[in-house]
Amino acid sequence: MAGRAAERIRRAIAMVNSVADEAGDEEITPTEIAEAIRDCLELGEVDDVPNVRRYLGEALDAVSDGMPADFVAMTLYAALGALREGSR
Amino acid sequence: MKSSIGRGRTLDEAVDAALIELQESRRNVDVKILSETPEETVVEVAVIDQDAPSMGMATAPVNGKAEIARGLVEGLLKHMGVRAQVTVRAGTEPITLDISGRDLGGLIGWRGETLRALQSVTNVMVGKHLAEGERVIVDVERYRQRREHTVREIAMRAARQVKMTGDAITLDAMQPFERRAIHLALEGDPDVTSSSIGEEPERRVVVGPRKAADG
Repeated sequence: MAGRAAERIRRAIAMVNSVADEAGDEEITPTEIAEAIRDCLELGEVDDVPNVRRYLGEALDAVSDGMPADFVAMTLYAALGALREGSR
Repeated sequence: MKSSIGRGRTLDEAVDAALIELQESRRNVDVKILSETPEETVVEVAVIDQDAPSMGMATAPVNGKAEIARGLVEGLLKHMGVRAQVTVRAGTEPITLDISGRDLGGLIGWRGETLRALQSVTNVMVGKHLAEGERVIVDVERYRQRREHTVREIAMRAARQVKMTGDAITLDAMQPFERRAIHLALEGDPDVTSSSIGEEPERRVVVGPRKAADG
């Protein structure tokens, strides 16, 4: 079910938001964010809904390209939105 | 800013006394504890300045970046079919946009998720107009501000309990801006300290007694 994928995407978003919002109580590296996104891509259910894998791939590229955290977050939200739409 | 001093046996009683004096509801105020003894709690309750003139108004100085951000968010909401008013909160750093209107719960979403997404999109759109590290905060119906006030109250309560028992308290999982509000609320307290444990999105603040070595 899409629940696991949504949970993992939310985890990745939370990590990115933590970088963007600067809670000041943790240090999250781009490698950790990339790892969280790869965890999402490992799930077969991301292929059940159109565009989810594509958005996750774009988010991963954005992390490796050093794009701003908000850009990565926006792409991950797009993946989450696509997943939600497709699960309806 | 309108404020009042409230006294009572408990924090709630003291706040209520001040709220009656101010004729305000709890969601529109900021509470500062002035003193606390087993017999009496004294608080200063200040009304959040809801009627502060926005930069969208002719009387306020116009901040170019803020105005660009406001226009972009207004356009975005129009495309989304959301009827709402976007104003720039006066005198805030970083730039804060307030969205207000009717039935905007959908724009806040589950635990503020949609609001957070909206903020990310806004920062991507406005990014090229901002300096490095500069960001725009988006708030819907003062949701974010209310959450910050709520968690600050939670922090104060936890701090009092820690001082009484000497035991550390682990709070519920919170978003980064909420954790930040707690750390800031407690940083000046000589008796307690705050830190965070766990991984996102289950990261939690722990409020504990400050040991002598902690400074």
